Amino acid sequence: MRRRLLILAFVSSAAVPAFCQPALSTIYDSDRQIKLQGPVTRVEWVNPRAYLFLDVRDAAGTTANWAVDFGNPLELERNGWKQSALRIGDIVTVEGVPARGEARQMLAKSVVLNGLGKRLFAPSSARRTQAAAPPAPRWPDRQIRLGPAPGEKGYWGTASARVLVENTGAKIPMNDDGLLVNLTDADRVAPFLPWAKAVYEHRQRTLLRDDPLARCLPPGGPRQFQMPNGFQFVEQRELGRILVLLGGGDRNWRVIYMDGRPVAQGADTVLSYYGTSTGRWEKDTLVVESVGFNERFWMTNGGLPHTEALHLTERFTRTDRNTLKYEVNVNDPRTYTRPWTGGWSMEWVPGKDMEEYFCEDNAESTFLR
Amino acid sequence: MGRRSFVFVIVVAGAAAILPAFAQEGHPLTGTWSGDWGTSATKRNHLTLVMNWDGHNVTGMINPGPDAISVSSIAVDVTNWTVRIEADAKDASGKPVHVAAEGRLEDIGSYHRKISGTWSQGAERGDFRVTRD
Repeated sequence: MRRRLLILAFVSSAAVPAFCQPALSTIYDSDRQIKLQGPVTRVEWVNPRAYLFLDVRDAAGTTANWAVDFGNPLELERNGWKQSALRIGDIVTVEGVPARGEARQMLAKSVVLNGLGKRLFAPSSARRTQAAAPPAPRWPDRQIRLGPAPGEKGYWGTASARVLVENTGAKIPMNDDGLLVNLTDADRVAPFLPWAKAVYEHRQRTLLRDDPLARCLPPGGPRQFQMPNGFQFVEQRELGRILVLLGGGDRNWRVIYMDGRPVAQGADTVLSYYGTSTGRWEKDTLVVESVGFNERFWMTNGGLPHTEALHLTERFTRTDRNTLKYEVNVNDPRTYTRPWTGGWSMEWVPGKDMEEYFCEDNAESTFLR
Repeated sequence: MGRRSFVFVIVVAGAAAILPAFAQEGHPLTGTWSGDWGTSATKRNHLTLVMNWDGHNVTGMINPGPDAISVSSIAVDVTNWTVRIEADAKDASGKPVHVAAEGRLEDIGSYHRKISGTWSQGAERGDFRVTRD
């Protein structure tokens, strides 16, 4: 079962960009495969998921309409696809995995235009050229800019990892939802206290079905940087703060205070999803200390738990225009046996603005109620 | 009051009685739990149980207020989420009575998870069931 889930994750990440709200593993049943054929009746090219709808006739001659999820339209556009690749009335053959339960919905692994035999919405085979990136832009006082250079546009996009694990050098097989291939690897993810490991394993065993993000609650903690729709910094230097505008999680924002105020003490702060953050520059690295988190969210994909005692130390280093290294130290003595560190890097999306995104509760059944 | 007004009042009153559900994704026992215990289906006693995980132990209190009972120990077995609660209370005459409860946490991922099991207080033996608020 877990092996199949991993296969689903890898296949879907190739054919359909992983979108984790809610987790694909929760929605789709990777133990089954289906193949459908019929005319396209509608195309929804809407963030966060693109759907096409097919009228499918069964052996008894009964026609039913199916919803086919074929990925995130922003990712598809980055791979050169447009909505116009498909027209109403086109006959297509779709292969993929069906939704759990009785819903007439599937996640496409391939969409083929009949007649021409052309495969649609496949990821680009051309790898992005790794040309030397320009240096990171700087303010007149030589401080690194976290946003675009003057007159330019852009935001931070895809993270190099969609899960957070302790930096030990070990490779732990898991999918983009954070679902372990082998549950016995739980001990290698983070130094859990016994209760936390039990909770983490419960979330894994239940395929992340209770993920608060699936109910459109905000992605607090490091998870805010694991969302597929990216984020951007707005540096309000005159106000002594940096805003983090999040592309995922209902267009939330977070404030990092840069005015020299002391790190807030947990008992003195109103608990929140993003905590209370204070930042400082250490040469070219922005160091942010955050406390005051509530316990209403999972701080990463995959369901790592935390308590109100959580204290995060995040380090953002823009090594060139296109690369932002993110490192986070997790210090929660009520959840983990010791502080631990993980991280990943983010890639700059030049020349573009973040697109609108709103979480849709029970999005998988939006079209099928 | 007309029929429509009456229905409106009933609906509003009903809605007001519904308590909001908030996620609590930290230690599964942390929070306030409400329910009852008793020796039979008809003989029940209201029960409020407040528990908190401090990083080392789960601490707790039964029926907070003037008649609060301080919990002396809460032991949790996370392999099967069984909970054993020990406390010392006083009965109506002021005589000390020991409280011992053992239950199992159900559906730890739910907003309104439950604990149910056996409850003994002095010479009385029964059951209890609480739901996290």
